[in-house]
Amino acid sequence: MTAEFEADLVVREVEPAAEGVVALSLAGEDLPDWTPGAHVDLILGDGLVRQYSLCGRTGDPGCWRIAVLETPDSRGGSRAVHRLAAGATVRVRGPRNHFPVVASPRYLFLAGGIGITPLLPMIGEVSAAGADWELHYGGRTLESMAFTDELAAFGDRVHLVPEDTHGRLGLNGILGTPRPDTLVYACGPEGMLAAVERHCVSWPPGSLHLERFTADVDRTGEPFEVVLERSGRTLVVGPGRSIFETVRAAGVGVLGSCLEGICGTCETEVLDGEVDHRDSVLDADERASNEVMMICVSRCRGSRLTLAL
Amino acid sequence: MNLDEVDLADNDRFQRNEGWPQFDTLRREDPVHWTAEAAPNRGFWSVMKYQDIWAVDRDTSLFTSEKFVNLEEVDDDLMDIRRSILETDGQRHLALRQLIAREFSPRNLMKNYEGFLRELTKRTVDEALTATEFDFVEKISADFPIQVLARLLDVPLEDTGQLIAWGNEMVGNTDPEFIEHTIDSPESEKYKHLPFRSPTTQDVFDYGRALRDRRRDGDGTDLISQLANKLPNDGVAMSDKDFDNYFLLLVIAGNETTRHAISNSMLALIEQPDQLRLLQEDPSLIASGLEELLRWASPVYHFRRTATRDTSLGGKEIKEGDKVVMWFASGNRDEDVFQDPYQLDVRRANVDHLTFGKGSPHLCMGNALARMEVRLMFEELLPRLAGIDLNGDVARVRSNFVNGIKKFPVTVKTR
Ligand code: HEM
Ligand code: FES
Repeated sequence: MTAEFEADLVVREVEPAAEGVVALSLAGEDLPDWTPGAHVDLILGDGLVRQYSLCGRTGDPGCWRIAVLETPDSRGGSRAVHRLAAGATVRVRGPRNHFPVVASPRYLFLAGGIGITPLLPMIGEVSAAGADWELHYGGRTLESMAFTDELAAFGDRVHLVPEDTHGRLGLNGILGTPRPDTLVYACGPEGMLAAVERHCVSWPPGSLHLERFTADVDRTGEPFEVVLERSGRTLVVGPGRSIFETVRAAGVGVLGSCLEGICGTCETEVLDGEVDHRDSVLDADERASNEVMMICVSRCRGSRLTLAL
Repeated sequence: MNLDEVDLADNDRFQRNEGWPQFDTLRREDPVHWTAEAAPNRGFWSVMKYQDIWAVDRDTSLFTSEKFVNLEEVDDDLMDIRRSILETDGQRHLALRQLIAREFSPRNLMKNYEGFLRELTKRTVDEALTATEFDFVEKISADFPIQVLARLLDVPLEDTGQLIAWGNEMVGNTDPEFIEHTIDSPESEKYKHLPFRSPTTQDVFDYGRALRDRRRDGDGTDLISQLANKLPNDGVAMSDKDFDNYFLLLVIAGNETTRHAISNSMLALIEQPDQLRLLQEDPSLIASGLEELLRWASPVYHFRRTATRDTSLGGKEIKEGDKVVMWFASGNRDEDVFQDPYQLDVRRANVDHLTFGKGSPHLCMGNALARMEVRLMFEELLPRLAGIDLNGDVARVRSNFVNGIKKFPVTVKTR
């Protein structure tokens, strides 16, 4: 594939944008153009790569802005970004756009929590183009919702819906009547997007555009031992390496395909030890049973796993 | 072969087994290649290198399956009628796939079907080896895969013959020997609302629905019962059309593919007899050499995607709406990944082939089943053979989609 832009950018400014959310301005030279809906990869070392939507102004070749929510359950991606201070450098790749805005006379924007980030530049663009639009923006509390100050300028087109005082987004009311002249753009947590999809089944095909936060896999973690029962070997899996890589490097044959925990090809039987499941193949029961694991991404909760390899 | 002689749209060449030299030329000289097609089609991009194929296959938002996945272009109004999980992306795809995907996990297959499969393989081999001369396709590889599917779908024994007949009518829709109106002929227009443009599919739909209706609210564990009684995890029930297309896909997807995986592997072992000897001397090599056999066999040459916006790949400007074809078979011969790619080497380590796709949410759902079928077949067959030789011409399928063998006469000596 053609080379994508990748460079070390300097953190110019770190601003708190809401409770638990910081906005980072990243400065560089001749940054490639982007369009609303685009995201970039932040390459944080040790195999940790995270995607963030660009949420600043388009057409500024000197600066990109992203906003990052610190999530308590993340294994360090958002925390690593939150630790960046002004003057630090960070490796960035992209931009890529899987969520582009299609021209339309009217738009409905639906944001849940940090899902506001890709929508913010879209709103700027369609307003400038003179389109009719509304934003319905839900969050836990008003304090947790980023960019409410910037959105205030748009007056009553913007509907803020903090759950603690207003309950959930009223999707029945918002999406109840399909409108052929309107495109729906939604970004937010999985539960909200699934509900949006259900409400949009009676809308004309192609009306709904949504962006899911990619199920990025975190490959980092403490080192641990794997005992390969059939081969009679014990290996150490280092931080940021996978069991799959480690076992292969030792010359033991294992199957793999996607190497991202989505396809199930590397499924391996677990004989002993507790698995830290990080794949998206197994369901909750299968995870709990601790009988099999995906060795391309999953790790160990303790210090040792025994596998039927 | 010169670059200007390459034509990947010409099914006749594939019948003459002339796909490979074209792939080699393209990988070397034009790894992302445009082929023009007759109107109303515009043409398609061909992606030939392993890494590029992987990149396309994993990026479903840029390269969608929703505009269908074969070279055939389907009218917009027919897409939704014919759409199965194969042509669905996103959350709905996952929800439908996850209904039964775990039934195909290696462990569940071993638990539920290994005994049955061993018996069926033994019986197939026993029957074939009552003769010393036979057609390998007819006696070994043709009916075995669909008999396995019949069991997974719990099709009554007395209907299995009918299912086999249907399966055979829906293969090879570019080969005049299999089908009256090949898909590249004008007559097939009449059937364009049906998958494979085959009138047989309506019979298959009716049959599947009858099975489903009988199993509603029952406690069966077969695939039909699960599709009849489980709610997809997006909360949206399957429509009748969803069910029809799912059922048909299950009947089709694992039939011809697995058949040709077995035939192509056997032919390679006859043509490179040192490899056959290795497997016979040490049958434990069959399990570890399986991935090399699958790399070699590449039963599907390609699957197609469609670009959702303008992009560039290998220095070529791809436009929104362009067809982008991943030639898995070419990636399986990519010399940057597999040294001496035309050497079958059952001791080759870490064979990460593209036979089932790679990195895609559409990665072959039956891959572990196909692996098990091919492995068990060779584990039963090879130890019984003292010798096996070609006994006439090999007849290939006329198709640039399935890499298949129709006839393959052999003489055998048994031990
Ligand atoms: C060696 C034999 C086989 C080969 C080479 C093969 C190849 C493939 C490939 C390349 C795909 C991906 C299509 C795409 O990305 O658009 C696929 C999908 C699929 N295969 Fe197989 N297959 C084989 C056997 C089977 C078997 C035995 C089954 C069992 C029913 C099966 C069921 C499926 C299904 C259901 C899909 C669609 C998955 C989805 O869209 O999520 N296949 N196959
Ligand atoms: S290789 Fe795909 S899940 Fe591990």
